Amino acid sequence: MIFTIFKKELRETLRDRKTIMSMIIIPMLLFPVIFSVVFKVQKSIEESMSSKVLNIGVIGGAESEEYIAQLQNLPKAFGERKIIRLADSTLLKQYIKEDSIQFGMIFPADLALTEQAKKTAVIPIYYKASELGISDKAAMLNDVVFKTTQQKRFQEAGVEEQTFTPYRYEYVNISSDQETLGKLVGGFLPYIFIVFGFVGCMYPCIDLFTGEKERGTFETLLTTPVTRWQIMLGKMSVVVLSGFLAACFTLVGIFLSLNVFHVVEEPRIIEAIHEMFNFESVVMLLLLLLPLIILFAGVMVPIATNAKTFKEAQSIITPLNMLFIMIAVIGMIPGISLNLLTSCIPVVNVVLGMKSLLSGYLEWHLLAITFVVMVVIAAISVAISYRKFDDERNIVL
Amino acid sequence: MIEVQHLSKRFELTRQQRKELSTTEKFAVAVEDVSFTCHPGRIFSLLGPNGAGKTTILRMIATIYKPTSGSIYVNGINVEEQPNEARKTIGFLTGSTGMYGRLTPNELIKYFADLYGMENSAFEARKKYLFDLLQIHDFANKRISKLSTGMKQRVSICRTMIHNPDVVIFDEPTSGLDVISADSIIQLIRDCKAQGKTVIFSSHIMSEVELLCDDLAIIAKGKLIFNDTFESFRAQMTTTNITEEFIAKVQNATV
Repeated sequence: MIFTIFKKELRETLRDRKTIMSMIIIPMLLFPVIFSVVFKVQKSIEESMSSKVLNIGVIGGAESEEYIAQLQNLPKAFGERKIIRLADSTLLKQYIKEDSIQFGMIFPADLALTEQAKKTAVIPIYYKASELGISDKAAMLNDVVFKTTQQKRFQEAGVEEQTFTPYRYEYVNISSDQETLGKLVGGFLPYIFIVFGFVGCMYPCIDLFTGEKERGTFETLLTTPVTRWQIMLGKMSVVVLSGFLAACFTLVGIFLSLNVFHVVEEPRIIEAIHEMFNFESVVMLLLLLLPLIILFAGVMVPIATNAKTFKEAQSIITPLNMLFIMIAVIGMIPGISLNLLTSCIPVVNVVLGMKSLLSGYLEWHLLAITFVVMVVIAAISVAISYRKFDDERNIVL
Repeated sequence: MIEVQHLSKRFELTRQQRKELSTTEKFAVAVEDVSFTCHPGRIFSLLGPNGAGKTTILRMIATIYKPTSGSIYVNGINVEEQPNEARKTIGFLTGSTGMYGRLTPNELIKYFADLYGMENSAFEARKKYLFDLLQIHDFANKRISKLSTGMKQRVSICRTMIHNPDVVIFDEPTSGLDVISADSIIQLIRDCKAQGKTVIFSSHIMSEVELLCDDLAIIAKGKLIFNDTFESFRAQMTTTNITEEFIAKVQNATV
């Protein structure tokens, strides 16, 4: 008997096109689409990175000459390089902070003496950990150069390689904890906002639009002296508010985990997180979040208005969450940052804007463009919602 | 008073609807050139089989749908030109009217009074009158989802009448209700008549029509096939009872 019921239910389920879409088509296409987007974007970034000239700062006298010569002799396959000689370590750090130099090294003045004494010299390499991939690139270049240099020196000095290690690199991260954490947290926080903001909007939206139609309460509401525009805005405001609150409560969760549950014990990290979520950045985050949530509502309302049943609305809206996440994933790819182009791409711009806000890089004009673009897109989505809501065929069953 | 003149309504069919109806037509005509007048202090009954267009006509009067052509005046107000003004004078009740289950009757009635823009003092007085009349006080603060069908029906009547409308529209008001709940609706319709309100109701239950109506219109396939007083309908009868007469009239019109 159970099998009979199972067969009938399965048959009915498989005859529902929307179920097929959400059960087979969308999950099946999800990863091919994600992979192709991520890898294509990643490839184009790598290509642009490799064509980009890597500025390497060097401080040191004659000790550094050999290194520089070796570095310049490396084949083009290692990418374009430019050596910038500097005399001052403060200037080196400043240039790295400003991104005009990607990494820099200081050759100690007593390098030759240390070598003669068969001691290991320490060569500091300064870089920003918040700039993903830089330390890897530095390590790759230095490994090749130092291996060649070392072998040459061992041969010249007639010393066996195993006897001692002439140099050791020491990678020194000069980005602040906020920058490093910001890049890390900024990488996933927008997704949390998107997921919770979306889900926060979804159920009230279906309940207030499709549910009201299903329950037969819309008819009476439409006979009251209130315009449809007002009715839709009243309902939509609730949808936006619940999505906004759902996303905001993730911020409350961060506050609770730091100040109530004491999940993070390292004072340096706590301080960095507090700096990251200062009043100004939280206000800015919320300002970026608001049009995004309105866009979510603006996308959902026409669907919920058009759907005849709660189930129908749910089966269409749920996969949309994945779509938004897929768009947002573009913002997660290393190397993509907020610039004039990306600030004009909806959703991606919010992800990148949040990322830059949390890491403390405030480029106000780009944040302003992001906000304006999102407000325009949100306004268009509201207008489309109204068009659907005003269509009398959609309002009553 | 309700004046309906040359009213027509056609709906654009979606691709899905065309497929379901096996038609290539882009539009479906729901109402075609219908005219009638409902007078204050009289009960106007709109009769017709399922799908005849009764609900569409009532929804157009209640401003839920816009007419494709023709005009509707409610108490002299053109409902297309001044929908909000018209709505202030209309009360609308259907047998399938749902309610907000998570609200209490008190909250629901206040919500609708606010939508109608009622002054607080007028609202309180009207609410007290209706709560007394419909005996709502005992469950006024219980969630509507917890109420029985009869209780819900009383709340629904209260909602319809809270702004004391001059025109009351009942769309198959007793369909799906038990005898006691249906009786409270019939009593409400009589009260509305006694208070000099304009009442229009659609039904396909002949006993109700016989019991209540003063004027009668019969609709079949969107067209008006009879429009006169109930006495006149009786006088013109060629069959033994009004149900048979109604069936005969509809069949003659649709053949």
